[in-house]
Amino acid sequence: MSESTEALLRVEGLSTRFFTEQGQVNAVSDLDLRIDRGDVYGIVGESGSGKSVTARSIMDLIESPGEITSGEIWYRNGELAAAVEDDHGHAVDGSFVDLLEIPERVRRSLRGTSFSMIFQDPESSFNPSLTVGEQLAEAVEVQRRASANPRSTRARTRSEEYSLGSFVLSTMLPSKRYVSEESRERAISLLELVGIPDPVERADEYPHEYSGGMLQRAMIAQALAGEPDLLIADEPTTALDVTIQAQILDLLDELKRETGMTILLITHNLGVIARMCDRVGVMYAGEIVERGTLADVFDDHVHPYTHGLLGSIPDVERAGGRLEPIPGNVPSLLDREMGDRCRFADRCPKAMEDCLSHPPEVDAEGSDHHAVRCVLAERSYDESRALPDDYFGEPDRPAEAVDEPQSDDEPLPAERTQPTLEDAGGDGS
Amino acid sequence: MSTDERLVRVDGLRKYFWENDSILDRLFGEEPVAVRAVDGVSFDVYEGETLGLVGESGCGKSTTGETLLALQEPTEGRVEFDGDDVYALGRDGLTAFRRDAQVVFQDPFSSLDPRMTIGEIVCQPLDVHDVATGTERTERVRTLLERVGLSADHLDRYPHEFSGGQRQRIGIARALALEPEFLVLDEPTSALDVSVQAQVLNLLEDLQSEFDLTYLLISHDLSVIRHSCDRVAVMYLGEIVEIGPVRDIFESPKHPYTRALLESVPRATTAERERDRETLSGDVPSPRDPPSGCRFRTRCPAVIPPDDLDLEQAQYRAIMDLRERIERRDVSLESVGGDRIAFDDGGVPERDVPAFVDALADRLLERELPPTHRDIVEEALAALAGVDWDEAAEVLRQRYESVCERRNPDLGEERHPVACHLYGLAADGSENGDR
Repeated sequence: MSESTEALLRVEGLSTRFFTEQGQVNAVSDLDLRIDRGDVYGIVGESGSGKSVTARSIMDLIESPGEITSGEIWYRNGELAAAVEDDHGHAVDGSFVDLLEIPERVRRSLRGTSFSMIFQDPESSFNPSLTVGEQLAEAVEVQRRASANPRSTRARTRSEEYSLGSFVLSTMLPSKRYVSEESRERAISLLELVGIPDPVERADEYPHEYSGGMLQRAMIAQALAGEPDLLIADEPTTALDVTIQAQILDLLDELKRETGMTILLITHNLGVIARMCDRVGVMYAGEIVERGTLADVFDDHVHPYTHGLLGSIPDVERAGGRLEPIPGNVPSLLDREMGDRCRFADRCPKAMEDCLSHPPEVDAEGSDHHAVRCVLAERSYDESRALPDDYFGEPDRPAEAVDEPQSDDEPLPAERTQPTLEDAGGDGS
Repeated sequence: MSTDERLVRVDGLRKYFWENDSILDRLFGEEPVAVRAVDGVSFDVYEGETLGLVGESGCGKSTTGETLLALQEPTEGRVEFDGDDVYALGRDGLTAFRRDAQVVFQDPFSSLDPRMTIGEIVCQPLDVHDVATGTERTERVRTLLERVGLSADHLDRYPHEFSGGQRQRIGIARALALEPEFLVLDEPTSALDVSVQAQVLNLLEDLQSEFDLTYLLISHDLSVIRHSCDRVAVMYLGEIVEIGPVRDIFESPKHPYTRALLESVPRATTAERERDRETLSGDVPSPRDPPSGCRFRTRCPAVIPPDDLDLEQAQYRAIMDLRERIERRDVSLESVGGDRIAFDDGGVPERDVPAFVDALADRLLERELPPTHRDIVEEALAALAGVDWDEAAEVLRQRYESVCERRNPDLGEERHPVACHLYGLAADGSENGDR
């Protein structure tokens, strides 16, 4: 679908963990990902599957108690590679740079120009006391000053002329040097680019005067200020109504066509994925369980979780019979509660004895990019090796039964006299 | 399945919320502002059916649900339950109504008291209405919990120990405790992940046939509505624009809003990218000051021009958008010409008027217009150069006024009625069948 199949970003073996009071949470484990230039890559998964943490790991927005504990994030940028090669040779491979091996200040300088991000909730992403135009101009200003000094990898928000002092001065002195006139004009043209009618007037309004859809457009404009290589959109339409969602998706599509930008789209909505993406990764419990082209994942999927996810959505075009839900609940990601088995096995209708060891990612039929973390990619389902239904115990225990720690890896078939989620929840099992 | 027995009848229901209505505001002479959350909706719910109420945020669907349950005071209108006027019920009657009509809320995290065990939560309605005692009561709670797919051993656990889906099951068990006939389900699965949503939808379906329940399902999610409902009412800005059997609504939608809504939903199939879709522009207007006539006309892709007008729909739409801005006085005239044109309280100096009109047209008009229409628009904009808003609005109104702004279309009485001037009565009162 894209003209070139040049990888822009290669993520290899990424693990991000959070060290909380309750214990170590394995939010993302051993994740591989390849995003080609000009593509829209979608990550889909339910809440808690680790999709946002993946995006934040790429953006370098993981904060304590979180930490990227292992992995490599290779980003193709010849200029950057040349700039850091002398000091950090081990982080350079041709025109690729490993973002986890370069100093923090270099990495920070990539935000905005190389990667930028839009979030789910535009209301909380803007400062309510500044006009939208000012905030956009500020973003432009940051990028403009940076490009005036391209070789410098210094964090540009730390420079002298961009200090708090100069901001305060700018409010008192008539010569507003804080944000220049060119930046203001560029801000207005950005607003126009994202389809805000009458941008000259709207630039002087405050965020609360914008509707949700307009504000999401403004946030996209802000993200585009530095002409980034990769735009990461984290649930960009989740807070919006469907007619506004359609407008925003149209806009992203258009921008992608016009600027050739690459987009990493994080969402829980499979319809949005189908509408936008060239490639898809399906996440479950911190892992990508299946990835490939849109057709691989939607039509030729192997993993029972992908199947279950697609089977759970009611169809808007057909009055369906019964839905086929996935029984049970999303598992805990606490390290001590995770066994060394396939993480989906306890909810999987096709769990076999083989699933008790953690499956590696293997290639599956379909396109070259189709890979899946499931034994079913290499052998078909064998009923004689199936695990008994109650192998993992009763699945409807409370999510955090703190007072009664139950261990998942205890293979003690519990008596199942109570109706469980499978029985009540449908005939998926 | 549904019968022909009518269980709930809603007639001309209105619910306004008032802003600027405090004593201070009155002292300062501020006029209270009505937020017309629900503005005259009428529908029936038949025994055993699921009626869907669908619309975008702020369209009044939840307020409709709450008001018909008498959880909110209605501003106007009538609701009958089983033949009785709900708002005229006495104390005993109201208690009985509260037993028969229950509600399940959207957010399973805030609708359960964190200090009560789930046993107490499910038992509370029994306490309030003084139903059953002692072991019978405990037995009933256990059965309820098991019926919704939870273990009865979890009676003593607290809500925080359960996941979102399980909490929603608790909410459903509580709503079922008094063996109601009618349930209002207010976005019951919106806070849940899709796999869990499917579990809850299946459960609701099972419970409906097992206990002969009647549902009013409020949701913004069209696929949920399609899956679960027998009939659907589509709401826009406090009004019902179309109501009918689920198949008719989804397969042959009449109202331009319903059509746009359906087209906007992205389908989870590989064919989605090639699907033709027409998306709506603009935002929903404020319910404080809804548009005159048909409320959808400010965004409608099929707004009806006067009979003798030779303009394409897109051009007519552009003129209507311009009129809307002028009528709301939502144009900042000061900044039109930048520094080139001097602007003071009296407007623009005579010699700058043509430049002003050009700049303004350039900014406000989204489409090229044929010369005759361009002249009319320029005449109106010239009036703005003298800051005469009324004159500008009037010039445009005379030529371009649509039937859609003069009259609010009625929702008919037939099987699949729609409130749109494209159907039914035309402006002059003559029959004007489907387009």
